[in-house]
Amino acid sequence: MSEAGGSDEVILELANVEASYGPVQALRGVSLKVRRGKIVTVLGANGAGKSTILKTISGIIDPRKGQIRFEGEEIQRKDPALVVRRGIGHVPEGREVFPLLTVEENLRMGAYTRSDAAGVAGDIELVYGYFPILKERAKQEAGLLSGGEQQMLAISRALLSRPRLMLMDEPSLGLSPLLTQEIFRIIARINREQGTTILLVEQNANMALEVAEFGYVLEVGRIVMEDSCANLARKEDVQEFYLGMKAEGVRGQRRWKKKKQWR
Amino acid sequence: MEEKEAMAIGVCAVADRSTIPAMFWAGVRSRAGRTIFRQKDFGIWRAVRWEELGQAVRETAMGLAALGLEPGEVVSILANTSQEWVVADLGALCAGGVVNGIYPTDAAAQVEYLVNDSGTAHMFVEDDEQLDKVLEVRERLPKLRKIIVFDMDGLHELDDPQVLSLAKLRELGRAHDAAHPGDWERRLGARRPEDLAILVYTSGTTGKPKGAMISHRNILATCAAYQASFPQDERDERMAFLPLCHIAERVGGEYHALYTGAVLNFVENPETVPENVREISPTVFTAVPRVWEKFYSAVMIGLKEAGRFQQRAYQLAIGVGMRQARLREQRKPVPAGLALAFWLARALALNNVRRAIGVHRARILVTGAAPISPDLVRWYMALGLEMVEVWGQTESCGAVTGNPRGAVLPGSIGPMMPPSEVKVSADGELLVRGPGVFMGYLNQPDKTAETLKEGWLHTGDVGKVDAQGYFFITDRMKDIIITAGGKNITPSEFENQLKFSPYITDAVVVGEKRPYLVALVMIDHENVERYAQDNAIPFSNFASLCRRPEVQALVQAEIDRVNKHFARVEQVKKFRLIEQKLTAEDEELTPTMKLKRKLVNEKYRDLIESMYVDAARGIG
Repeated sequence: MSEAGGSDEVILELANVEASYGPVQALRGVSLKVRRGKIVTVLGANGAGKSTILKTISGIIDPRKGQIRFEGEEIQRKDPALVVRRGIGHVPEGREVFPLLTVEENLRMGAYTRSDAAGVAGDIELVYGYFPILKERAKQEAGLLSGGEQQMLAISRALLSRPRLMLMDEPSLGLSPLLTQEIFRIIARINREQGTTILLVEQNANMALEVAEFGYVLEVGRIVMEDSCANLARKEDVQEFYLGMKAEGVRGQRRWKKKKQWR
Repeated sequence: MEEKEAMAIGVCAVADRSTIPAMFWAGVRSRAGRTIFRQKDFGIWRAVRWEELGQAVRETAMGLAALGLEPGEVVSILANTSQEWVVADLGALCAGGVVNGIYPTDAAAQVEYLVNDSGTAHMFVEDDEQLDKVLEVRERLPKLRKIIVFDMDGLHELDDPQVLSLAKLRELGRAHDAAHPGDWERRLGARRPEDLAILVYTSGTTGKPKGAMISHRNILATCAAYQASFPQDERDERMAFLPLCHIAERVGGEYHALYTGAVLNFVENPETVPENVREISPTVFTAVPRVWEKFYSAVMIGLKEAGRFQQRAYQLAIGVGMRQARLREQRKPVPAGLALAFWLARALALNNVRRAIGVHRARILVTGAAPISPDLVRWYMALGLEMVEVWGQTESCGAVTGNPRGAVLPGSIGPMMPPSEVKVSADGELLVRGPGVFMGYLNQPDKTAETLKEGWLHTGDVGKVDAQGYFFITDRMKDIIITAGGKNITPSEFENQLKFSPYITDAVVVGEKRPYLVALVMIDHENVERYAQDNAIPFSNFASLCRRPEVQALVQAEIDRVNKHFARVEQVKKFRLIEQKLTAEDEELTPTMKLKRKLVNEKYRDLIESMYVDAARGIG
């Protein structure tokens, strides 16, 4: 009974995944689990390998080593199109909408793998519900949208493939704080209402820890910490290195950094 | 009155080597133009000549004089090993001061204790990070007058009457020197050989740290003894990277180099030691066992990734190396055929191994400060290197026994190094007498009386001596475990064997009044991580790595391997891994990254108890 809906079911599992760009090793053995229906986040600084994890899952990069299991089946080194068909949607970093296509055409591109026209039409209405501004701009070229609107479109486009797992790469990138909040509110809503599992990669640790339930901290291609987001937010190292909080010291200013210990 | 006397002695002392200032200044005079230091500056090794060092030290000393430092007052240094550390040390000593080194990994509360216990008048700190520690507790440091900062990055806006930069201090020194002719010479001769020169706090496994008082005579006699046993000169290159607060680097590194003119090469930071060693390729290299273990593991791991041909070549070559090292160990002649084979082995593989570590030019490798596995010594000997284990402690001002070059006996700490005398007491303790034996503990006459009895230093190390005069340490007296069965166990024997594994950094064997022995093990993060990756063992953080059954099995296999060499009662029956990655800042580790036995025993009591649960149940 609990097979499909059980919240303990692992929908995605990475085991010892290594990936590199030429001679540069970006992932040095990453193992992580995402449970169905949850929002899981991977925190990390620039160049830690966060985006590489997502690209390796969606098949854009082939791992050198290790397994990626989605719903129990290995999907590493598969064609990205196949991975989409299996039920994984990728919202890439920097939006990557098709600039010369209209908003609606972009959305239909997201549904490219589907053949149920009625379902697609319904889903387009659904995402217009989440992002009413997209409906207003339905006939406009996507390249003319603002950054925030493009982000909304990218998320919507991914939703159009009806993914069971959404990979989100820095949805807050380049957005105003207000817009960031709105995007995150809707991410949480999508997760709640559609039951879509979300693997979220973010530099905005504050937002990510708020919206996600479980988190990993990635440092130069390796996971150094994993815990519930509530616990992570309380860790000294996370506070200092990701949340920008630090003890001021007696001089009222501090330049030096603590050594990272990750405990 | 006393000052006049000091002046009179000072005048003649300049010509000799009876105090550190005298010895140092004699070096400045006779070695002008030669290099004494090298330190990396923006990626380039920059040489410092003797006369430059002399200038810096004189300005620093005169700066301290300008701040009112009186001969005999204490100056503390809170910094990582660097040339500034040595400038501060020599500056304070030449001003007539006493120098106390504080580990940069110590927390503010420890700094507070050490500054107060030593009665520090002025202190040097490395940078803003170390400065913040002192400022945090300065309300409770009534005797501290000024704080001098080496590196002012991020502090230029700081306006604090108690804080000044080293550059500013030297500026004050230049002015003071010009205004007070003769003060430099007077201070240079202010201290007598038997006067206190440095304080070295011992890590104190029990109670508060104790400040061992070391005199000028202690140090210079030790330098002379080192020079007799392990001579070095201006052509030699040494690495300076162990903490200068520790007697090993302070006397064996800094003072012995100043004594002989050997060049000190300062590493950039503790993480860059391997690269810096390769860049410098020292000719004389002193390190602690952990460093030698690290180098060995790096070679073993590198070998695993090498091609089959390279692996085979290494196996053949090291086999030949071992055969000839064995013969040397047994004092037997090496047959011409084997000598030729060894020459080939070096050309084929071993020279590359030496180069990979950076020891290809090393005339001598010295190991000390902790016990080392004899097999590890043999491995270095098999590379055609000379590795000598020495033994001593803070209270003896460093090494008092050492393996002679050409007659190394792995596993032994060697015969005594004259003029020090070493003997085994009736209850097996090693006792030391000689010019290196310290003056006692600061402010602790009771502890001094317990340690120094009738001129003999009671070292607390238990050992024996063979017919050839080679000493062997079995254990620290207080570390010996007596099991519930009444068996005396020396835990370090097992631990040292275990540390030989590339996957294990350190271990503590436990079993006092217990039915059997167990061990707490600290894994080598990097190497175990690599093992896990190579064998597709998923893990996320350090704790999850420790918990993997495959990693547990890996450590079990290492324990089983070592158990084979021990009698049944001496075997370790169970182990637990320390699941937190420990760093030098953690109280569990000494600054040389060894686990502190007593602390670990207390802190991980529950973990230890968990290994005896079944036993208790079995009895109950």
